[in-house]
This record gives sequence, structure tokens and C-alpha cells, in this order.
Amino acid sequence: MTLVDLDVVEPFYTLRPIKRELEAKGMTVIAWETRDTMGLGEAGTLIRGDMLWSLHREGDIVLDIGYGVEGSKTLNLLHGVGEQKDLRINAVINASRPMTASVDDIIEHVRALGRVDALINNTHLADETDIALIREGARLVSEAAQVLNLPVEATAADEKFRGSLTEDDVLGQPIRFLTRYMPRTFW
Amino acid sequence: MADKPIQGEKRMFMTGNEVCAYAALAANVDVMYGYPITPQNEIMHYWTRLAPKHNRTFLQTEDEISAGFTTCGGVMSGKRCFTATAGPGNTLMQEAMSMAEMMRIPAVFIIQQRGGPSTATVIYSQQEVTMTCFGANGEGLRVVYSTSSHQELFDYTIKSFNVAWKYRFPTFVLGDGYQAKMRESVTIYDPEARGIQMVDTYPLVGLPGMPGVDRDPAHLRNTYNTEEELYEVVKDLVDAYEKMAPEIVEHSTMECDDADVVILCHGIVSRAAIEAVRNLRAAGVKAGFFRPITLRPFAKDALRPIAEKAKKLLIVESSQGQFAKIVTDALYGLTTPMETIFKPGLGITSDEIVNKVKAMI
Amino acid sequence: MTVATVLEPKMPKCWRQETKPHKFCPGCGHGDILKALGTAIDELGIQDRVVFGCDIGCSLLSWDLFNCDSIQTHHGRTTPVMTGVKRARPDRICIAYMGDGGGYAIGSQHLVNAASRNEKILVIVANNVQYGMTGGQMAPTTLPGMKTETSPYGRDPESTGNPTLGPEMVAAITPDSAYVARGTMANLRQLTQMFKKALQNQIDGNGFSFVEALSACPTNWRTNAAKTWEFVEKEMTKYFKVGELKAPAKKEGQ
Repeated sequence: MTLVDLDVVEPFYTLRPIKRELEAKGMTVIAWETRDTMGLGEAGTLIRGDMLWSLHREGDIVLDIGYGVEGSKTLNLLHGVGEQKDLRINAVINASRPMTASVDDIIEHVRALGRVDALINNTHLADETDIALIREGARLVSEAAQVLNLPVEATAADEKFRGSLTEDDVLGQPIRFLTRYMPRTFW
Repeated sequence: MADKPIQGEKRMFMTGNEVCAYAALAANVDVMYGYPITPQNEIMHYWTRLAPKHNRTFLQTEDEISAGFTTCGGVMSGKRCFTATAGPGNTLMQEAMSMAEMMRIPAVFIIQQRGGPSTATVIYSQQEVTMTCFGANGEGLRVVYSTSSHQELFDYTIKSFNVAWKYRFPTFVLGDGYQAKMRESVTIYDPEARGIQMVDTYPLVGLPGMPGVDRDPAHLRNTYNTEEELYEVVKDLVDAYEKMAPEIVEHSTMECDDADVVILCHGIVSRAAIEAVRNLRAAGVKAGFFRPITLRPFAKDALRPIAEKAKKLLIVESSQGQFAKIVTDALYGLTTPMETIFKPGLGITSDEIVNKVKAMI
Repeated sequence: MTVATVLEPKMPKCWRQETKPHKFCPGCGHGDILKALGTAIDELGIQDRVVFGCDIGCSLLSWDLFNCDSIQTHHGRTTPVMTGVKRARPDRICIAYMGDGGGYAIGSQHLVNAASRNEKILVIVANNVQYGMTGGQMAPTTLPGMKTETSPYGRDPESTGNPTLGPEMVAAITPDSAYVARGTMANLRQLTQMFKKALQNQIDGNGFSFVEALSACPTNWRTNAAKTWEFVEKEMTKYFKVGELKAPAKKEGQ
């Protein structure tokens, strides 16, 4: 498993602070070490050659390309992106974000992204998330997916909902329970 | 085209910069002027995406000097206008801010503090307190709200436009890079749905009618001839500011009544302090917390009796005593012992505060 | 000649080995432009006399690139800092290096006045038509219709004007003793020659020297190598004509 930090949209949420922790779990993490950077946020977010060639690696590769239209265009930078048959582009939707808060907004957002293969419902309000909110997100994402003629790949929810949240809550979508590392990954 | 950017109210998961852009939209702001600088860029990014959908406009200027003065020009034309900046941009904008003080221009400035001096880092600090409160050649005739959460960024951005236009002093929302970039839950709302009426704006120039015939022309200036003339002008400004102060000054406290140690801080550091007070109280230590929400004007009258009663004071800030100067000025004459945690450009945890308080008692 | 020396990446002698590889993104124009500058410095043999100044933005990553004394200054203020150095130490060869935001937006007043005073320094502006540093906002040089973070619906010349033509402006306000040119990372041989002439103009004490270099930012443009080159070579040159606008050396028949 290789994780690649290609997020040049929001460089403040980054794999840098947990790079070593994830590597200790056996993952390959392609990201800067903070001490190797210079002028963070003043000199732009820099990309390295190994990031651009990452699709040529063996095994599963997960790319964080940042959010929105600018994020999706980041894929253009990758060598061999056009020839990759196994590449799957999932748009992760949080219906608690103002720009994807309604079915119409989600449709407009996803259409602006270019190629998208599936949607993932990741509706949450951090620690305030409850099942009703996840359920409502599943409904909105599912309705948008129908109009967009895309499958909903899954609903993502915090590990703490295991046992209480079922597939019946989210219109039969598979549920991916998540352990959250990102709250510790600021700058 | 939606008629209102926010209908009613809703709970959302947002970055602080995004919150500021939505708050300005909700406050019926007409124009944003700005120049790119981290960590405030996304205020512009969200504004430029949202503004055209609601018939609002944006101008990217050539630098922050220009962003500050174009904001003044827009405001003098009777429009609700604002700009946002940080660090070296805040430095450059002081020139326009001082004109706003002198000419009573109700401009709103959002400052997302970053590390200093100079270019330094783009990440976080509380090192723009002195500059934001007292910058440029002037007397600090400004209103400065120091926020500690996304909810406050939303609430006080809206409030800033009303305070600015009601009292006609330049008004500042003082955040920081952490608040700008963090994501957290926030309730965004249409001010009207909360019973908040936006204060009417009006032009200072470009008035109706033929100048010299239908009305006197508006001749506005910030230059004076003699010391005596200037003294009268500044005295009037100070009087107006001091008359306004009790109406708008804000602070919050926690467990100060019986506190042995009162922790003094502002902005995002308050979060660590609140947690520290909870932990200390749970451990049987009588700790309290005082936080000014307006750094200008400062809640001196509220603080003095608390500080007098406390056995000890602890000032905590992410700068080398910029906040402490404001506090000690307000507490002149009191003899309560005072200790400090100064960490310029560095975040402060509740554990550090807890350990310090325990060492003080 | 051994195989090893052939394979060794060619690096100007005045580049500092210890800070290589440099931190610019793959495909970034800065590396190429600074290589051309390094070659010009080497060929003129002035490494020990150069004082190099760089701005805020991605140009700041050049702060330790050369084995030359260097100052990384404030955004837009590299031109006056280098002017100050030159006025105090006229024997130094002063180079102010910046992006199009530093040159044509926040530092434009300094460019205009340094050029008007015919300051004997070299100002280099790397033009990549946007702000790379702060996440790809519109720059004075952004092309009409181009989408950036602060022109999400495309740059509209009606409300934001046309792209700034830096060398043309500098040429219009400088005396004939100034050297003014626009080069491109797509022609490094020509760019190197421009830098050499510009530096020689300063060495000779003639006057102001100004070179704009068309540059690429694939990271913020989100373009692959082919699209990047197409943009630099075809799109940018429609607005930004490459060539010398003022070359005093020619007039002297050198």
C-alpha cells in the first residue's frame, strides 16, 4: 500500500506529521518530511518526481489530490494517468460542507470535477456526528448519484459507530468504518 | 441565483477562512478587496466563487497598501466593504488603517495572524496584537475582536460590519492561522433569522444633488494646519471612542469568583486555558479564567476587581508580551503578583498551563 | 573523458553543491532560468562579486542555490534592497530575482522607479502567469480567460485589465543605456546570452538591466509535460514577445 500526498490545494492537512507512524504500519508514504521543506505556504506546495511517478508502483496506491476542481486537475500531473486501467476516482462528499450541502450542489460540484467513477458519502460534523446526520448524507449523496448516473461506493463513518450504524441506515450502501488519523495532521 | 446566501441557519463543517467569506456574504457585504497572502487566501477564494452568484464583487489589488485604500474608497462610497490580510500584509495596510481612524471610515479588516517578525512563517502566532490594536501613527482608535472559534469568527465578522457602521471606527476581526485553516463545526445563519438587523450604510462622497447648489460639497481631509487644530480633531475622536467603548466592550470569564490563580489570555489560546481551568478545578486547584473579546477597547473595569481579588495572575500568549502590555496598562497600581507564559509563534497546550499554575501555588 | 563525467548532471560552477538537488518542482521554470543565470555568471567570471537577492514566492527557494552572497527579502522589496546594496557598494554585481507578482504587482513601484533612475542593477522577473506561492491566484500576467483561484470563472480583461507587459514598460521609461529583454525557459541558450549582456551592462556601469523570463508552473497549472511546453511556447508567446527591446552593447558595435 502506497499513500501519496499530492494535495496542493490545502497543504495544511498533510500526511507529513504522521508519515513515520504510517510507515511503521508497513505503508509506503510519499510525502515531504517537514524538516526538508522551506518556506511552507510562501513558496507554494512543492511536488517531487517520486510523487509524479507514483502510479508506476506495485500494489494499491491511494492518492490524496486535494479537494474541488483544482484538486481533480492535479491528476493531470501524474505520469501514465491516461493509460491506467485500474485507476478509480471517487468523489468523497461531506454534505455538511456548505458547497455540497444539497442534492443540486453535490451534482454541480461533481460535474465540475471532470471524470468521477463513484461517490462516497462521508457526511460528518467531526465529533458532533450522529447517525441521523450520516443517514441524511447517504440520502443526499444517493439522490445526487442517481442524477449523475454514478454508483455510491460506500458510506464512511467513524469507527465508534460500528455496531450502531447498519447498512439499512444508509440505503444499503456498504459502510467503511474509519480510524481518524487526520485530526493530528495539521501543518 | 439565490436571493439569500444562507437561508435560516444550519450546522456546517468548515475552515475558518470559509466561515469568514460566508459571514461577509450573510452580512450583505458588497465588495471585497484583497491581495494574496497566507494564511488568509481562502477568504478570497471562497468570496470569488460565491460573490458573483449574489451580485457582489471582488478586486485583487497590486498589494496590501492598495487593498487597504481601495477598501476605504469603497466604504466612503457607502458600500459595506472589507479586506483580509496577515503578517507583512497587515504591516503594509497600516497606512490605510490609520486613515480610516482619522477620517472615521467604517472599514472592516480580517487579520489571520502568522509568525513574525517580517515574513517568518505563514502558520500561526499572536504577534500582530500590538500592530492591529495600535499600529501606524495614531492613537489606536480601532475596534478589535479577538476570536477563539469558528462560531466567533462567524458571529463577530457579522458584528464587525454593524459596529463599524454604527460608530464609524475601523473594525478588526483578529484571528490566526490555526483558526483560518482548521475545520470545525459551526452554525451559519442569516442574521435576520436571528433578529440581527444590518446597520444601514451611507455614502460620504458621491452624494445626490449638485454640489454648491443643492448641497454643500463633501470636502473630506486628513491633513491639518496647526497643532491646536489637530489637537481638537484628535480630542473629538478620542471622546467619540471613549463614549462608544462601554457600549461595545466584551469579555468572558470562568470561575473567577474564588480563584487563587486567574489565567489571562485572548483568542485561540483561550481554548487551552478553559481546558486547563477545568482540569485544575477537577484536581482541586482554584483556577479561573479571564478573556477580553475586544482587545480594543479593553475591558479594564471588568478585569481590575477580578485581578485585585486573585492571589496570582498568569498571562498566557503566543507572542513575547504584546498582550501582557495591554493587561499591565489596565492593571496599573495593583500589586497582585503576575507570571507569564510567552511563546512567540508557538501554540500553547492546556498541559503547559496546568503545570505552570500548579508550580505557582 | 570518462563515462562518469558525461553522466554527471551539468551544473553551473557557481551553484552550491551542498544544496542540490534544489527544491523546485519537476518541470518548474525556476531551475532552468537560474541555470542560465549561473552559466552567465560563470562565463563572466563574477561569482565572487555577485550579491543575489530573491523575493517571496517560489523564487525564495533560490536563497541558498548559489555559492554567492544572497539575501532573501520581503515580498516585492528585492529591487530596493539590491539598489541599496549597489549604492553602498558599486563594485558589487547586484541581481534581484523575483516572480511576476513581486515584479509587476506588489513591487511595481520599485521596478518603475529603479528603472527611471537607471539603477545599475539587474532585475530578473520569472513570469509564470500566476502566483505559485500562495496557491495559484491571478497575477498581473495571467492570460485572459485563464482560471485561477481568484479568477475562478476566468480572467476578464474588462474588469481586471490585460496581462502586464513588463519589458515593454521598462523599455519605455529607461534611457538608451538600459538593457531590456524577454527570454524564455524554452530557449536557454538565448536566455543565457541575455543574462550575460544584462550583467555586462551592469559591469560596464551603463545602466539598468531587466530580463523577463517566461517560466512554467506545471504544479499549479496542473499540466503534464507536453501541455506545459505547449503553453510556454505557444500560448504565452502570443502575448509576451520574446526578444531584446533595448541592447546598448549593439549600438556601441561590440
